[in-house]
Amino acid sequence: MLWRPHHLIQARPNFDFLGKRKIAMVLSTVINVASLVGVFVFGLNFGIDFEGGIAIQVKAKQGNVQLEELRSTLGHLGVGEVSLQEFGDPSTALIRVQRQEGNNQCVANAERVMKKRAGDGWSVKPGPANTGDVEFTAPSSMDAVAWRDAVSRVGLTVQERQLPRGTVNTAKIDMTHEQRAEWCQQVAIKLVEDTIGSNYELRGTESVGPKIGEELMRNGILAVVATLAAIAIYVWFRFEWQFGVGALVALLHDVLCTVGLFVLLRLDFSLTALAALLTIAGYSINDTVVIFDRVRENMRRYKKMGLIELLNFSINETLARTLMTSGTVFVAVAALVLFGGPVLYSFSIAMLWGVIVGTYSSIWVASACLVYLNLRPEQLRMDAEKAEKAKA
Amino acid sequence: MLNLQRWQTIAVIAFTAIAVLFALPNVLPAVVLDHLPGWYQQSRINLGLDLRGGAHFLLEADLRSVLNERLTNFGDSVRGELRKQQVAFKDITTEQGKAVVVVLRDESQRAKAIEAIRNVDPSLSVSGSGDTIRLAYSDQDLFRRKKEVIDQSIEILRRRVDETGTIEPTIVRQGDDRILLQVPGIKDTTDLKRKINQTAKLTFHLVNEDMAAAGPSAAVPPTTMMVPTREGMQELRRSNPKAWEEIQAANPRMSPEQICRRYQPQCLPVLKRVIVGGEDLDDAKSTFEQQQGGRPIISFTFNAAGGRAFCAATRANIGKRLAIQLDNEIISAPVVQSAICGGSGIITGTFTTQQTQEQALLLRSGALPATLTIIEERTVGADLGADAIHDGTVAALVGTALVILLMLIVYGPVFGGFASLAMMVNMLLVFAGMSVLGASLTLPGIAGLVLTVGMSVDSNVLIYERVREESANGRSPFSALATGYERALTAVIDSNLTALIAGVLLFGFGSGPIRGFATSLTLGLLTHLFTATIFTRMLLAFWVRWRRPTALPI
Repeated sequence: MLWRPHHLIQARPNFDFLGKRKIAMVLSTVINVASLVGVFVFGLNFGIDFEGGIAIQVKAKQGNVQLEELRSTLGHLGVGEVSLQEFGDPSTALIRVQRQEGNNQCVANAERVMKKRAGDGWSVKPGPANTGDVEFTAPSSMDAVAWRDAVSRVGLTVQERQLPRGTVNTAKIDMTHEQRAEWCQQVAIKLVEDTIGSNYELRGTESVGPKIGEELMRNGILAVVATLAAIAIYVWFRFEWQFGVGALVALLHDVLCTVGLFVLLRLDFSLTALAALLTIAGYSINDTVVIFDRVRENMRRYKKMGLIELLNFSINETLARTLMTSGTVFVAVAALVLFGGPVLYSFSIAMLWGVIVGTYSSIWVASACLVYLNLRPEQLRMDAEKAEKAKA
Repeated sequence: MLNLQRWQTIAVIAFTAIAVLFALPNVLPAVVLDHLPGWYQQSRINLGLDLRGGAHFLLEADLRSVLNERLTNFGDSVRGELRKQQVAFKDITTEQGKAVVVVLRDESQRAKAIEAIRNVDPSLSVSGSGDTIRLAYSDQDLFRRKKEVIDQSIEILRRRVDETGTIEPTIVRQGDDRILLQVPGIKDTTDLKRKINQTAKLTFHLVNEDMAAAGPSAAVPPTTMMVPTREGMQELRRSNPKAWEEIQAANPRMSPEQICRRYQPQCLPVLKRVIVGGEDLDDAKSTFEQQQGGRPIISFTFNAAGGRAFCAATRANIGKRLAIQLDNEIISAPVVQSAICGGSGIITGTFTTQQTQEQALLLRSGALPATLTIIEERTVGADLGADAIHDGTVAALVGTALVILLMLIVYGPVFGGFASLAMMVNMLLVFAGMSVLGASLTLPGIAGLVLTVGMSVDSNVLIYERVREESANGRSPFSALATGYERALTAVIDSNLTALIAGVLLFGFGSGPIRGFATSLTLGLLTHLFTATIFTRMLLAFWVRWRRPTALPI
């Protein structure tokens, strides 16, 4: 055969991996501490999924997006912090607007939108401070149907009961503070839409209200904790408790390192980023399990071997597959980074980094943990023999 | 043993064939699909809104106010009933969304008072002692009422958003008090939000019996208007679909009188004066008559103002018909049997249960029972979706090509080729699985597929490396393969289960597009356990029997 398979590494490598465990420990500690410090000092760049707020994708109808111009117009709009970034290519931009509070500024914004969209005669005023009520005044008297159409121009969805009876020119829409805060996201969207003008085409709009943001955040944290715990418990059941702890430490290490990357590159931490985090947790443990599996097998086979020697031997034996399994996922994810487009960018970058970190941690964190946890080979062997006898 | 038994081989091939069958509708042209059975046509992957373009809204219903309002109304009814039964009370108050508290003047009247309250509504639980009676919804009742409000809101939304029945919105309940509204293919949400607000106008009118008796040719007096009946319109839709379409498409909307004049469906002359409007209607439901064989009837409840107006109008018009008009149609015109006072009444007739349910729904569809607040909005333009599809497809193709290349280089054309083939079959299985489940493919879902490509060959890597080891230990090709497959299995399963755990939890906690990611990844990991182990083993077994190699090219 002309085409022979190519051995990635020699059949029986003999690196002293665990001899370098002190260096690895220092390196890992530094990265992890730096990540933690980074999270607390600089904070994560939370996307609207978790923080609430608005994201609008616009495309210039002609030429490129005038980022500076847009930035200064939108910055003084009265919708709080606005950030702009190029998204994918120079003709497209992502406008991020901070989460809106249901304050008087928002009511004033609603008035501006009303004046622009329904005519100058309109005014919108907040109701009493202990409620979230909003009072609309129209230039002329209108019936309930016309009122309904009018308030929907500022994105307000009302129930029939909230509308005035008869034909009047003032309507007080009763709302709670929470409802007003949710509505204010809609007001800001309208205001931004009105402001950016006709040179831009809206490609997509996302808004997440305060309530959902908090919920997604809570669910996200729960998901990470539950996943780490479930995986560690699984490994603990399949192996010994030391393996479970080793896996957990490696998982925490990988997750922290990835979070650190988000801080360092100021990547958008959104729901897809969370998906990346969980996938990394689930995937990075693959190599660890493969190594652990071999360690367990070798413990039964080489009863006289010391722990460090045994671990080194097992890691070397499985090195080819560790590199190869990571390699296949690495090239697949690399394709995502290069061609997956701007929406998936932070997800793909995080995954790519996670694959590297996960491979490193399988060798130097998870396995090194076994050394520090005094995995007693004698004990294990006895357990294994017992198990074998039971099987026989 | 490396060889599969004959039945196993047949099972593997049959399974793959079935997968091909279920994945097929995704690529078949519409012309062919039209000739196939409906269940089979539906075996397709839906594109998620982020790929297809469209609007996604999460609405929250203000159930608290609804319950408060209901309790306040209930308190009013109790007040009236107690007065009627001559039970003296100090006070009736409503506890926010929870309960109505009645404080009696005389403790000894407690039993009488409770009986009177039971007459108003027997479903509330009674507690308290002495002169205090606390009336609250039971948890079960509360749950049922909340569910009713949400279900009703969903029906109304569906009616409002999908007037023409063509845009196929997804409207589903989420959790306790939320509604997810997804409308594919729309870009401008202003119109959609206007529609959410759009009240169907419900009004009660008296029928002009003199004119109805005089026949259709009689002149219409200025106090009267002609309004088509619902049956009349449905008949028109059947007999003259073109006219019906014209009416639907007319802008501005045609008035009922125009429709009657131009298309002459069955119409009723009704007095223009509105007796009661839908905003005064609190509830309408389909129930059964207490006596006389329990015929299906519609019962309805007005608020205080509506109740008074309705009482006066029915008292003065016994024997006449009362037309119930929804938007431009008369949905029903029952004969007034007796004065309907006390805020609630029934509509009897020769109805089937299905008809009463439909009528009750129509009556309720006037007003949304609860305020809906938009708490999450995601709108994706169609061209943005098209970009996402393009990016995703390119990434998936390049990713797959790179993985195949890597496998071919490292494991050679035979082993690498078989692993790649298995990976592609796996993709097919994922597509089939998603088609059968009717799952949505989202952009993160495509990312999940790309990851699956990378991960599904991993198990082959584990097996092949083991085979290399066994081969290097001096085993014969056949024995090395058999042992490799056997011994690598635990590592394969262990290492994939952890990723599966993450996928399942992600599905549980995630929402929207992330679920799409979790679906494709989890499905891919599950199916690859089949392709990477049994499927490649079958291929290799064939190959070994065919080539009888003296050394393994691995």
